[in-house]
Amino acid sequence: MGRWGKGLLALAVALAPAAGVAAKTPADQLVIGASLAQVLSLDPGQATESGSWLVTSNIYDRLVSTDPNDPTKLVPELAERWEIDGRSIVFHLRDAKFASGNPVTAEDAAWSLRRMMKLNQAAASLWKPFGFDEKNIDSLLEVVDPKTFRLKLPEGTIAEFVLYALSGNNGAVIDETEAMKHEASGDFGNTWLRANSAGSGPFVLRRWAPNELILLERNDEFWGGKPPMKRVLVRHIAESQVQRLLLERGDIDVATALAASDITAFDGKPGFAVQRVPTGGFYVLAMNTKNQYLANPDVRRAIAWGIDYAGMAKTIMGPYGRVRQVPVPENYPTALPDPGYKLDVAKAKEYLAKAGYPDGFPLVLKTIAETPRVDLATAIQASLAQIGIKVSIEQGNGSQIIAAHRARDFDLLMPLTGGGNMADPLGSLQNFTYNPDNSPTGNSGYFTWRSSWDIPELTKLTTEARGEPDRTKREALYTEIQKQFLASAPAILPMFERFSPVVVSDKVEGFVGQGFRGVRLDTVRKEAD
Amino acid sequence: MTRDLPLKLLRRLLGLLLSLFVLLCLTFVIGRLMPTDPVGAIVGELADPAAYAAMRAKMGLDLPIPQQFWVYVTNLLHGDLGTAVLTGNSVASDLAAAFPATLELATLAIILSVAVGVPLGLLAALYRDTLLDQIARVLSLLGHSLPVFWFGMVGLIVFYAGLQWIGGPGRIDVFYEGIVEPRTGSILIDSLLAGENEIFWNALGHLILPACILAYASMAYIVRMTRSFTLEQLGQDYIIAARAKGLRLPAVVLGHILPNIAVQLVTILAISYGHMLEGAVLVEIVFSWPGVGQYMTNALMIGDMNAILACTLLIGLIFMILNALADAAYLALDPRTRDAR
Repeated sequence: MGRWGKGLLALAVALAPAAGVAAKTPADQLVIGASLAQVLSLDPGQATESGSWLVTSNIYDRLVSTDPNDPTKLVPELAERWEIDGRSIVFHLRDAKFASGNPVTAEDAAWSLRRMMKLNQAAASLWKPFGFDEKNIDSLLEVVDPKTFRLKLPEGTIAEFVLYALSGNNGAVIDETEAMKHEASGDFGNTWLRANSAGSGPFVLRRWAPNELILLERNDEFWGGKPPMKRVLVRHIAESQVQRLLLERGDIDVATALAASDITAFDGKPGFAVQRVPTGGFYVLAMNTKNQYLANPDVRRAIAWGIDYAGMAKTIMGPYGRVRQVPVPENYPTALPDPGYKLDVAKAKEYLAKAGYPDGFPLVLKTIAETPRVDLATAIQASLAQIGIKVSIEQGNGSQIIAAHRARDFDLLMPLTGGGNMADPLGSLQNFTYNPDNSPTGNSGYFTWRSSWDIPELTKLTTEARGEPDRTKREALYTEIQKQFLASAPAILPMFERFSPVVVSDKVEGFVGQGFRGVRLDTVRKEAD
Repeated sequence: MTRDLPLKLLRRLLGLLLSLFVLLCLTFVIGRLMPTDPVGAIVGELADPAAYAAMRAKMGLDLPIPQQFWVYVTNLLHGDLGTAVLTGNSVASDLAAAFPATLELATLAIILSVAVGVPLGLLAALYRDTLLDQIARVLSLLGHSLPVFWFGMVGLIVFYAGLQWIGGPGRIDVFYEGIVEPRTGSILIDSLLAGENEIFWNALGHLILPACILAYASMAYIVRMTRSFTLEQLGQDYIIAARAKGLRLPAVVLGHILPNIAVQLVTILAISYGHMLEGAVLVEIVFSWPGVGQYMTNALMIGDMNAILACTLLIGLIFMILNALADAAYLALDPRTRDAR
């Protein structure tokens, strides 16, 4: 915001009545400001966009969940308890009803997983690294009795990771009877479930107007007790400054899509709390090794030393991230310290000379045209210019840039990684260290493949870690993976650990931002005026 | 002479249909050549190639472009605009939901801009080079050059956040959502029909600022055009004659100038209204207004071709209809056009 904007905000504050911010939303309705532009489906067997999480987390239950205050700790949800029995997990379901009145049964749990794999969309692809696919899924599900469900584990996968995956949004248990009433041409009710709910969660979906509003209503049958909120409204507000005005005026209670400058404005401001929610993901500089220059490890090292991380963190990232150059978040077990990359022009030039390009070369950096990525791109362009690499920036919308990334059609690109559904190093590492087949047809969807970065040794270690049941041994593998990653002049360079900040009005109690799934709202309360 | 009329109309209609078709072809080809990825938008960034290919085939995007176009046109002739990737609903039902929001906004805006713009333009011409004329000129210059986006933000900061005179972004306060059943799609009318006066006033409070901002931008244009049309008339002999025979200024304006500039004004109004109806994109985004402009922007962002094509058609259709209405208005307003026929 420029000087003008600041002046106007000051004017607005001056004009506002001295009473200050008055909560205008009713005490039994929670209003959340969000960007719903990417929300294309509310079917948990299909949707993976984080914008849909808040909704699917509340209209559905999963078998297990994680502690809102400690995402590494698994807690019961629909399964009262579970035990690991050799190569399978046995879940014992609690007495619960779907919003339709149908009882929640083991058959519903099995059907929901089968349906997700058979639909074979983005949600299913999150499960494939663990060995589940549309062919073997039938043989892995067993309904022991109406309240007991056994999930067999595919070869090379340990129970802990499967439990984490089940705690994610796509582990939702769907009301089979209700959904199949709306089946059309073998779609497992997908067309209907995109915009309707058939779950047992604390809320039901009353209305979804794409890019406008999502309206949830309390499920009075909810097994966990009546939620204090009667309605939850998620409102699409594309403009960050508008969202900020609404929050300040008390017309929304929570803002989830604010730009860094608008979040900073709430820091320390009475009446609001800023939550920096860790996601386990990163802001990344992807270098395509199909490019003749970037194929050279010394060029990649030069680039790693040619970026002003500290400057970007201070002026651009703010609440959205902190410098982190190892693909495991700083506070995770086994996390290695940063290798200490910083803008060091002399060192970077040394590497370029060693690579045989003392005078530099041109590269194209593709980025999605949104903050903070465009600003990061400009900063990278400026600092790489100092070492002689002439970067031109190409901006595009999300689908253009993602299409280029998928097609390996880029030199440099700035994607984001996620935490892989679990607060465990493996969830964060996979996009950086796993590339089972680097051939043009071997597209695993991972960023390693998209950068044509062939890393058989790292892939082997990552696969081993995924199947290693012994925690100590697994953690030793994580350490080894990070060491090898750093030594290999990464083509997927982590720059910043990614946070997803939310600002919550003090009138709201119990809203704890989540980085791996949506926030459950069943215990959220609002203070009456 | 009257026998020519149906023929003329038919020729006109054919011409319009042809231009719609050319518009459709162009949009379709550009859309398919754009490097966007609607499939990726549906299956998600991490989907594996098999799932991706399956969805691509399901959407018909693996067919050659001429064949895709053929399929599209065939469906269109059957009244099927296709399904929007963006919402999963039929494009027709999406537009049926979004268009009334834009219509309500644009209609109030055009009323406001005519109510202020025409008298201001007339006065500016009549009192040419006086202080009044200068004020009108500065006002219209500002309206034409200030970015609507910025203007909208300032309006919100001052009138919503500061003075608290009006409702914020969106069509109504969010906790009123889902109370009034949509019948006409206009919240003002629907809330009155349902007897929800409170919601009517709330909706009006939300509507007034975006409508004023939209109105201001086109008012600038209307003022300038009205002024120059009027000046042109003022120099004509018949006006001088009317003044010479002692007619007072208001009578000259109402009796002579207005009828003579009406035809030109109608054209200007039709164009302005058309521009507002095609979705005042920036106003809709700043005010979180769920109209056609916002819908089309979101569709463009992910390359949702069915939605983009339908919006293009809708806009073409709006201009066709407005043109036809303007033509009809000429007939009523200008006897010469009747004679020429």
